[in-house]
Amino acid sequence: MQNVLSILFCLSLFYLAVTSRVKAYVTVLRFQGILLTVLLVFPFIHHFSIFALILPATLFIVKVMVIPRYINKIILDLDIKRMIEPTIQQFTFLLLVIFSMVIIFVASNILSKSTNIETIPFASGFSAIVVGIFVIIFRKKLIVHVTGFLVLENGIFLFGTAVASELPMMIELGTLLDIFVVVFLMGIAINKISSTLSGFDVTALGRLKD
Amino acid sequence: MFEFTILILIPLLSSAVCYTIKNIRLQYSITLSVSALHLIFSLMIFIGWYQPNMPFYFSTDSLSKLFLLVLSNVYFWVVLVSFSYLKRPVASNSEEGKRYYFLLLNFYLFANTSAILSNHFGMYWVAAEGTTLSVAPLIYYYRNEEALEAMWKYLFLVSIGIAFAFIGILFLTLSAKGTSLEAQQLFFSEFVKKARELNPVWLKASFIFIFVGLSTKIGIAPMHSADVDATSNSPSPIAALMSGSLRITALLGVMRIFQIVRPTSTYEFAKIILIIGGLLSLLFAFIFMFKVNNYKRLLAYSSIEHLGIITLGIGIGGLAFVGAMYHIIYNSLNKVVLFFTAGNIHRKYKTREVEGVSSVLNILPWSGWLLLISFLAISAIPPFGIFFSELMIFEGMLFSDKPWLLAVTMFFLLFIFINMGKTLFQMLYKKNENEILPIEKERFEIIHFATIVLLILLIAIAVISPNILHENIINISKDFGIKL
Repeated sequence: MQNVLSILFCLSLFYLAVTSRVKAYVTVLRFQGILLTVLLVFPFIHHFSIFALILPATLFIVKVMVIPRYINKIILDLDIKRMIEPTIQQFTFLLLVIFSMVIIFVASNILSKSTNIETIPFASGFSAIVVGIFVIIFRKKLIVHVTGFLVLENGIFLFGTAVASELPMMIELGTLLDIFVVVFLMGIAINKISSTLSGFDVTALGRLKD
Repeated sequence: MFEFTILILIPLLSSAVCYTIKNIRLQYSITLSVSALHLIFSLMIFIGWYQPNMPFYFSTDSLSKLFLLVLSNVYFWVVLVSFSYLKRPVASNSEEGKRYYFLLLNFYLFANTSAILSNHFGMYWVAAEGTTLSVAPLIYYYRNEEALEAMWKYLFLVSIGIAFAFIGILFLTLSAKGTSLEAQQLFFSEFVKKARELNPVWLKASFIFIFVGLSTKIGIAPMHSADVDATSNSPSPIAALMSGSLRITALLGVMRIFQIVRPTSTYEFAKIILIIGGLLSLLFAFIFMFKVNNYKRLLAYSSIEHLGIITLGIGIGGLAFVGAMYHIIYNSLNKVVLFFTAGNIHRKYKTREVEGVSSVLNILPWSGWLLLISFLAISAIPPFGIFFSELMIFEGMLFSDKPWLLAVTMFFLLFIFINMGKTLFQMLYKKNENEILPIEKERFEIIHFATIVLLILLIAIAVISPNILHENIINISKDFGIKL
């Protein structure tokens, strides 16, 4: 089941690479949030407890409901145009994503021989980290940078489940809260940037240099 | 539980209280009392009058005791001068920034203390991200375009950096697969004890990710840019807070993983990475000192330089490591002094450009002389502390297996000193023919008092060299397996 979910996760990354609409990015975030929630709930299906549901429920609220809604609100409020304004051709971007994912999957397969890791979730998580960084590098709009950052965070989350790290629930909740506040602050900053610097993309930020 | 309440819960509580109170003076009184209590308590813990026994994911050791004291001290002085700072007139849209100032400061103390006292990598991560979140809105205090850009860059880059550090932490769990640490909690102390069992490949990856990720926060080149922007565009007390305490909190994370790496085969590799990071920081400070024309950026680059020296010292080990620990204390004191005086100059001249500032010694005699003295202090002129700590680091370099590092470092430091001196002396002495600023006698304010006390402290610690401090640093060195 974990592998199926991870592969779906990878497909969402491909969709991210080919789409050029800002809204689609938010939809992908929502989809990834649902996948991660299912991934968390799945092990508890046979021995159900309310306590075990706290983390998936919070994850669902933060990553599927609150954050995507908040980003959509910013897009609507600021009247950000639909296109993502890439700095490179979409096709080149797709090639780059495929190429990196192939390398990551092959490398993970080699690594899994020496260390006991779940290859597919591990590689999918790492791919999302790389794709998130690509989105930040090759897109101009600041709001898309925020979604890139969130894809990266989702990747880390998946990656974390693949290495079966035993983080205590309090800390997991803490990380979720941190991410939520980061996005919240970024949203405020984008609002301010659009009003004071009159722009939504990185070209508006060029005052500070030596 | 008592120590947990005072050091961690009370700052959080006072942050909440500051949210409900509108009166800035009352907020100030509460924050100042909390910071004084925090300082007294950290000092008691440091001296050993109180043996802390922290619950949950927290604990204390020699290293965290030292860092806690540095944080407490910097925070106290920053809070002390903050009220006089908030009284200064600002643009009308900046008024709302004042309302959340003390709330965020209290939250910063809460997050930073939690990070320093944490014994768990996850806890450290959450708390370190918390410090970024509390500082980012403070950077935007002036509500102008530069501050906004600086805040965005800091928030974004540091969040990504911290995300990388998280990947590093996950790699650390991977390195524990198949050992007795597998499926255990990520406690630093446990990992240090059983470090030899860890898988070297994953440990190496973990070190790189944590180091590179936290570099954005420490200000190690080449990840320093957001940090420089943030320190140079935030109000002076916040810049002092960042340079004096936030950077070392991030450094603590690197030191924790370095401590784990020590008994393993990855040690030499980690040392080289630290040395490269330190040298690169010196190189960047060296290059930018030639072209920088904004005096707050100049000070920010000076922070990069000194954190570079500290990283270098830690990487070289031996006596240089001991020197680096002293350097952490002296640098934090000195940076607070420098940013406080720079803040006074900014208030009078309304510009951060070096061109717009002239004859500071005549117009602002107190701040001018204090800037001059603190410049001498940061340039390692005796009897100020930095001289002694740098001497120790240099001696450590000379007797290490890489003595050539000393020559490179000296070369960089010489030019940094010349260029920094040139810029600051120009500000202090240059006469401006068409002087428009009215010459009125500069009043002695609390900010000058704080500066003088810190400068005296800088000399006193170095000259008296308290035994308790020396013992603590020797204990830290022992924890890091340094043979002296």
